[in-house]
Amino acid sequence: MIQHIFAVTVKELQVLWHDREALALLFIMPVFFILVMSLSLEGVYGGGSREQPLEILAVNEDQGQAAGKVILDLGKMERLTVVEFLDSAPVTLRKAQDLIRTKKYRLALHFGDHFSERIQSESHDNTIEAPVISLMVDPAMNLQLVSSLRGTIQGVVERHLIMARLPHIVHQGLSGLGEQGSPEMAQMLNALTPQLEDIFLNADIGSLGSRRVSLQVVPLRSLVNNRQPTSTEQNVPGYTIFGVFFIVLTLASSFIQEKNDGTFQRILTAPLSKAALILGKLLPYYLVNLVQIALMFAVGVAFFDLRLGNIGALFLISLALSASANGMGLLVAAIGKTEAQVNGLAVLLAITLSALGGMMVPVFLMPGFMKTMSLFTPHAWALSGYHDVMIRGLGVSAVLEEAGVLLGFSVLFFLIALWRFRFE
Amino acid sequence: MQDILTVVNLSKRYGSRQAVAALNFHICQGEIFGLLGPNGAGKTTTIGMLTGLVDPSGGQVMIDGLDLRQNPLKAKAKIGFVPQDFAFYPTLSARDNLIFFGRIYGLHGRLLRQRIVDTLDMVELTDRAGHAVSTFSHGMKRRLNIAIGLLHHPRILILDEPTVGVDAHMRQTIFENLKALNKRGLTAIYTTHLMQEAQHLCHRVAILDKGNIIATDTPSALMAASGKGIIRIRLSKPALREQMAPLAELGSLTLFDSTVLHIQLTADTADNIFEKVAVLAEKADISIKGIDILEPSLESVFLHLTGRSAMIDDASFPDNQKPGVEDDP
Repeated sequence: MIQHIFAVTVKELQVLWHDREALALLFIMPVFFILVMSLSLEGVYGGGSREQPLEILAVNEDQGQAAGKVILDLGKMERLTVVEFLDSAPVTLRKAQDLIRTKKYRLALHFGDHFSERIQSESHDNTIEAPVISLMVDPAMNLQLVSSLRGTIQGVVERHLIMARLPHIVHQGLSGLGEQGSPEMAQMLNALTPQLEDIFLNADIGSLGSRRVSLQVVPLRSLVNNRQPTSTEQNVPGYTIFGVFFIVLTLASSFIQEKNDGTFQRILTAPLSKAALILGKLLPYYLVNLVQIALMFAVGVAFFDLRLGNIGALFLISLALSASANGMGLLVAAIGKTEAQVNGLAVLLAITLSALGGMMVPVFLMPGFMKTMSLFTPHAWALSGYHDVMIRGLGVSAVLEEAGVLLGFSVLFFLIALWRFRFE
Repeated sequence: MQDILTVVNLSKRYGSRQAVAALNFHICQGEIFGLLGPNGAGKTTTIGMLTGLVDPSGGQVMIDGLDLRQNPLKAKAKIGFVPQDFAFYPTLSARDNLIFFGRIYGLHGRLLRQRIVDTLDMVELTDRAGHAVSTFSHGMKRRLNIAIGLLHHPRILILDEPTVGVDAHMRQTIFENLKALNKRGLTAIYTTHLMQEAQHLCHRVAILDKGNIIATDTPSALMAASGKGIIRIRLSKPALREQMAPLAELGSLTLFDSTVLHIQLTADTADNIFEKVAVLAEKADISIKGIDILEPSLESVFLHLTGRSAMIDDASFPDNQKPGVEDDP
């Protein structure tokens, strides 16, 4: 019995050893997952990361000092980089909007010209408007991240609000003690200020008779009524792309099986070209991809009120995305020599490229080098294209670049695959 | 008779290894042509070049007047190929497999349906037409493998060792089918390492060894050339050809590797051959390790030409056609 087990074990080890590429993939795969997932997820928690802080533009039109102090404080936070000046000039509202529209920045804070004046005013003073800060966001921004960021900014702003109001509040509170404005009173007030700050920091703003600062999230270039995108609109494209690239495994396995079964060889003795054979073989998988995409979006529409945007643009991105997924499938079939190699490689690519391409973590949260690497994945371009259509409300002309890059990936994959592919 | 296939100076080189060297032969319409040789002789490479799967390093293949290189699609349409291994889709039914392969040969509609009915009938798979091929027995799969090659009525059918792994009954059935098809005009190339099969089935054969054709003729002509058979003598120690001179009176001598002597027997010398060999060996001062006598057959022809058996590994070959068991001293 033991001898049999030993014999089978030795045989199996020999088989594994003979397919060293597949064996190596078993080790490379988890290492890749750890590296890619850890690096990309690093930025999710707390808005950004120490190494790759979240960049936020600050448009300061405040005539007083309050906005400047808030910006200064926000800039001190480890996970945020506040950009107030570009090319030595203050960031203007128009400039910030343009930069978000062109996806160079994802966020901007806008402080109006009377911000300082308004936060100093009494909450019951109806002659002065409530202070407002606009948080302008790219609609494709992760909603959880926006929500977390909003809370962070709100906290900093309210702290400043209290600090700005503190002398006035204390003065009001002590007015009943008489001898207002006496040097003794002022001395006592100064001595108490640090302790009072602590007390007020934990106090409720409303109870202090202070105005609340309204932090309004303003998505740019959104669809109807400048509304905020839903989490479905943000997630469905990512999951769709993730699913589409799983065709790589099915497609590549099918090619390997035909090679192993000798059916390719037999077919090639018939009067048909190799190109016809490959195209005929790929076409069903291409159609499967398109049906997959249609089905996933249909589920989104049916159950989550997903708004698709421009159908032509959506179709264009879907055609290009499926072509690149099929190209990658053929490439894997051309590189992998055994079924085990093909399986390992396909899963490795499906997961790591999805993570790298922003399916799991927004690309703008990734460290700089990973952001650059994401540009070399079709996933990132497909996601950008879908977000342009479904969230940013753009049309065919706006997604031509993404569709072109995806088709470029397809051509590249096909050319390498055809160069490497062997039918036997 | 019209030539269906003509091969001129066909060669294939893999790096420094010459797999096939300048083959020349032709196959006439209605002929079953055997391509014989042991494993590694170059049969598969040759078949690969004849079917367009392998690019030749040199030479030309003409199929029914069409150059395979210049008109690959038109030329391939005239070929039917039956590979050694099963090459079809096991999850599909026999009918669906035939539909697919029929379509890639340009068959459609009523013609395709009729051909499928006829072909399934011929290979006796009509009642299993709708079943997944994965449920078929080995013999049924073998028949389907052949049916796919015949479906489009090729001008020439190329069979690559179609009887490997089949039992005697199935082998006989395949032979009968091929003979029946041949009577209806089918031309075929039949590759095998079993000389008896070729002897039984083929009108003409080419014997391949180490990438070269060493003989081409009808089986009977080749066997006639080998006289009354071959006596194969294994020597205990290497000897010189001159030393063998006394044995020359029994027939023409061929010495292989100084240790194996073949004597091509004639009608006059075949009787009492063991005694004659014993006497003459003593006279020649040579010590004998073993003696085989091979009746005239393609195997004895191959053995005589190469000094080796072509079918040494084949356990299914009938005992009376195997090389004799050597007597160890």
